Amino acid sequence: MPLEILLAMVVLGIAGIAILTIWLGFGRRRALSEDTAQADWLRHFPDDVVQSVWISSDAHAAFVLTDRGPGLIWSMGADTAARRLLDARVIDSAGGLEISFPDFTAPRVAVRLDEDARLVWKRLMEGS
Amino acid sequence: MTDTLSYPDVVQLAVPLFIAAILAELLWIAWRGRGGRYETRDAVTSLIMGAGNVAEGLILGFVAWAFLMTLWAVTPLDLGTSWWVVALCFVLDDLRYYWVHRFGHRIRWVWASHVNHHSSQHYNLTTALRQTWTGTFTFMIVMRAPLVLLGFHPAMVLFCGGLNLIYQFWIHTEAIGRLPRWVEAVMNTPSHHRVHHGRNPRYLDANYAGVFIIWDRMFGTFVPELDREKPDYGLVQNLGTFNPLRVAFHEWLAIWHDVTQPGLSLRDRIMYAVAPPGWSHDGSRDTSEGIKAKHLARHPQDAGTPGFR
Repeated sequence: MPLEILLAMVVLGIAGIAILTIWLGFGRRRALSEDTAQADWLRHFPDDVVQSVWISSDAHAAFVLTDRGPGLIWSMGADTAARRLLDARVIDSAGGLEISFPDFTAPRVAVRLDEDARLVWKRLMEGS
Repeated sequence: MTDTLSYPDVVQLAVPLFIAAILAELLWIAWRGRGGRYETRDAVTSLIMGAGNVAEGLILGFVAWAFLMTLWAVTPLDLGTSWWVVALCFVLDDLRYYWVHRFGHRIRWVWASHVNHHSSQHYNLTTALRQTWTGTFTFMIVMRAPLVLLGFHPAMVLFCGGLNLIYQFWIHTEAIGRLPRWVEAVMNTPSHHRVHHGRNPRYLDANYAGVFIIWDRMFGTFVPELDREKPDYGLVQNLGTFNPLRVAFHEWLAIWHDVTQPGLSLRDRIMYAVAPPGWSHDGSRDTSEGIKAKHLARHPQDAGTPGFR
């Protein structure tokens, strides 16, 4: 197959499938509740005992306190990813907090929090 | 001896089929509201990984070709090109695939290439195309050497490998439940391969087959899909990024990080590269055996059931 035809087919195919998924409503990020965040955390870390959960303002992230320390779970498309907050760097951002992990597979998560929630989350992170 | 044999690049030719089948699956799921899940960024990442895999073949394919043609030049055997030779080559190449795939899950150096195929938390036809960009660097091309030395022409061996890859495309779906019993007994099917993509402790390191599931049954790695336990797709530690570069190279970087950390013996450094994924010099991580053992500690009633024997 000529390279230019293959290239055109690949580019148009990817773009077409992407547009179609958005049009069909498959582009939405997973929204978390306390119950789903806890269940999803245990999916990632089945040996943990979840003690408490705080949901972000946009419901796309949650601070999770477990018997093994604090962690963050966040929406990855229709699913979630989760990491412990052991060596994470937390800085204030315009929309809430920006959390950076020393992890090539999960470098940075922007958490949307209103001002009150931001203060609560920072206090929780410092306390744990 | 046949030197100029050529077969079509079936994987490239199948690209329109791949796109059409993905569109059909996507519309089916949207129409029926069941049969799988799609998510935009996940699907786009998988498709970009597939495009990158084809690009890698175009750029580095000459390495494999030169290696196999060198072997072809030295082997005194030539089985010719009759249909039964192609059929035999296809079956033996599938056995070759089984072992390459098994090594891909049990040797971290090979896993570093294969891990990206398992990095989606979805299981649909785009997942089939989430292929490696770094396969050349696993050196698993050596596993094709016996076929060439036995007298199968390199072009035939690569042709059969392409057919094998195309077969595996359609089994990456939740839209098909189970097939007739005789098919499930002999062939790799959507049901068997869903198990392979499961991160459930029960389903880890199972069902490595490409086309024929008989290899798993023969070598003791077959685990059936249980109605009571739906596969949970993805990695033991799922990625927190859709960036294709991070998907493609993260495990190689992790190996480098582990191998170069200070204070290790030479054996430990080698083990970080070749031991099963999850191995660590201080026991701080879990291999699949450790994950299964922890699961059984939490759920002792699962002992002796499929995947825990």
